[in-house]
Amino acid sequence: MSQSLDAYLVLSGILFAIGTFGFLARRNAISMLMSIELMLNAVNLTIVAFGAFIPDLNVDASVIALMVMAVAAAEATVGLAIVMAIYRNRRTPLVDEYDAMRQ
Amino acid sequence: MFESLIPSVAPLVAAASEEAEAVSEVINLVPILLALPLAGFVFTAFFGRRIGRFAFLVPLLLVVATWVLGMVVVYEALSGGFGEHGAGITLYTWIPAGAFQVELGLFVDQLTACLLIVVTTIGMLVHLYSVGYMAHDPGRWRFFAYLNLFMFSMLLLVLGDSWLTVFAAWELVGLSSYLLIGFWYPRWSAALAAKKAFIVNRVGDVGFALGIMLIWASTGTLDIRDSFELIAGLDGTTIAVIALLVFCGAVGKSAQFPLHVWLPDAMEGPTPVSALIHAATMVNAGVYLVARANPIFALAPDVMVLVAAIGIFTAILAASIAFTQNDIKRVLAYSTLSQLGYMFAALGVGAFIAAIFHLMAHGFFKGLLFLGSGSVIHAVHEEQDMNNMGGLWRKIPITHWTMLVGTLAIAGIPPLAGFFSKDEILAESFKFGFQWVWAIGVVVAVMTAFYMWRLMGKTFYGEPSAHVRSLWDRIHESTWTMTLSLVLLAIPSLFLGMAIGLPLGDSTLKHWLEPVFEESEKMLHGEAKPFELLGIDGVLIIISVAAAALGLGVGIALFGAFRRGERRARVEALTNSSGATRFLYRASFAKWWFDDLNHLLFIVVGGRVADAMWWFDRTVVDGTVNGIGRLTIDAGRGLRRVQTGRVQNYALGIAIGLIVMIGSYLLIAAR
Repeated sequence: MSQSLDAYLVLSGILFAIGTFGFLARRNAISMLMSIELMLNAVNLTIVAFGAFIPDLNVDASVIALMVMAVAAAEATVGLAIVMAIYRNRRTPLVDEYDAMRQ
Repeated sequence: MFESLIPSVAPLVAAASEEAEAVSEVINLVPILLALPLAGFVFTAFFGRRIGRFAFLVPLLLVVATWVLGMVVVYEALSGGFGEHGAGITLYTWIPAGAFQVELGLFVDQLTACLLIVVTTIGMLVHLYSVGYMAHDPGRWRFFAYLNLFMFSMLLLVLGDSWLTVFAAWELVGLSSYLLIGFWYPRWSAALAAKKAFIVNRVGDVGFALGIMLIWASTGTLDIRDSFELIAGLDGTTIAVIALLVFCGAVGKSAQFPLHVWLPDAMEGPTPVSALIHAATMVNAGVYLVARANPIFALAPDVMVLVAAIGIFTAILAASIAFTQNDIKRVLAYSTLSQLGYMFAALGVGAFIAAIFHLMAHGFFKGLLFLGSGSVIHAVHEEQDMNNMGGLWRKIPITHWTMLVGTLAIAGIPPLAGFFSKDEILAESFKFGFQWVWAIGVVVAVMTAFYMWRLMGKTFYGEPSAHVRSLWDRIHESTWTMTLSLVLLAIPSLFLGMAIGLPLGDSTLKHWLEPVFEESEKMLHGEAKPFELLGIDGVLIIISVAAAALGLGVGIALFGAFRRGERRARVEALTNSSGATRFLYRASFAKWWFDDLNHLLFIVVGGRVADAMWWFDRTVVDGTVNGIGRLTIDAGRGLRRVQTGRVQNYALGIAIGLIVMIGSYLLIAAR
């Protein structure tokens, strides 16, 4: 474990950026969901890092991190279910073919 | 504490009960006077079509009943039953709006009584006449309904006791006039004339409405009698403006220059309408209004001079036009204008009683002349051009003799009605220091006698025209309802002057109307001068009789009488004798180009202005409104492209937004 908070923050920043890029650039819905997970984990990493370095936040950070994981799991479930439903309907996992929201 | 009040209250109570005793019970008949013709109108409007041929029965009977009641009220008012200054009756509060209270009240005094005589009598006779005149018209139920509506409106106009009531009635008579001028609306010219009358009247009515508003604004009351007392306390300019605005309404309704153009065109209506509305009653409303408002006008002597000037100018203008018109009804219409001008001249010089006298006399003889002309038109099968008449006097004797009475009356031959009233106007304007009014008035008297004899000569005397000869055996006198009305109107034309105009200078009419005009006349002229039959008054009488005789003489010389024929050649020679007379003939024939002037001013120039305004409205006003709408539509259409429907585009937007927000937060926080 590094002695510096910056290293963790930089790592989580990089992870978040990768997640964002993935969400914006990938066309596959599954990949986009994975990118969301990546971003969530980057945020979780930040929270845990702050908790480890600031004693007052120690317990709070752990609780929040667990909460985020639970929400992320639920979100992934719902997201996957939606993607499955759309896939059955449209026969494609590619999001740029989903244009029913236009106009 | 209350004891101290008792002595001050007691005399008031006594005075009130005394007044209540003084007013006769007859005042309660006055609302019925209004209700009868209104009922006739409503009934005929709803059921007249089903009744068909006898639709005239109900309106006629109701109008006769109105006349009987009217005469009772008139008798009571003139014999002093309503007290010296008249009596009123309040029906209900018409407009209860906080401080703005308008009572619907009726009021009868001697002036109202004089108008009631004219309105109910002529109204009744015209109804009677119309039974015969309109016998073959399929829409006669409509005609009688309108006539009753008019009777109601006109009675409300003379009976109303608040400015607002009078104004409402003022508009109602205008409406009835519009409906009746346009009675034969399928005829284009009739529809057009109705519209013209309505619009020209509206110009005057705007002034009248403004005047009423000014009265309300400056005195806080709309009651006519209350407002007179309060107006006396205002400053001179306000009074003059009020007088001017009220006069403006009178000019419109009584067709004085420059709003005189509608009346001749109004002759498109059926002839009984011309007689009732456009000669005997409605057009007198302006004269009545100014006479009623005499306390206001007496305080604005400058406006009085204007009234006199407009009146006498209209008189000579219209008389000069009547010289050359060939349509029998148009001659009479211009003659009406001219006589109304006389009345306004009389009002302007402060001879109120003379004006009302002439109003009454003119109502009868002009009603007679119009009804006579209707009878002539019937006889020659709906021909109105006098060039197509002539030689009719033995074919339709009753019409001829009654019209002769009317002609002599309007010309001012003693002892017929017109002589007394016209002479009184001329004499009083001379004595009150308006010699110019007198001088023009005498000229107009000559002209009146002349053009009236021209009408008689061209219609009844001389050689029958080709049109008359082709119909000769089928020309017959009208039915008894029509001739009876003519005879009944000829009687007052003959005797009215002698009945109420004698003795000269101290006549019955003067005694009747003295309480109404006393204060104003005193304010304008000081104490009345005694009447001198062997002095100035005698001379003035001789001059006005000479004027009438001169006019008639020239008329007889040129247009014949009885067996003497018309001298067409001499008439033409006279008009062609010099450039000036040719010009005058053309000017008179073209009615001094007033219609053309109005056409130029309001149709051509006014049309251009309206076009320009329309353009402004279309491009600038509408442009702004439509521009805002179009901008929104275009903006929406442009922004619609942003909505691609692709999740990742939206996500990109969210990401960029987030970056911008965080970036700007950092930038600001870093400061």
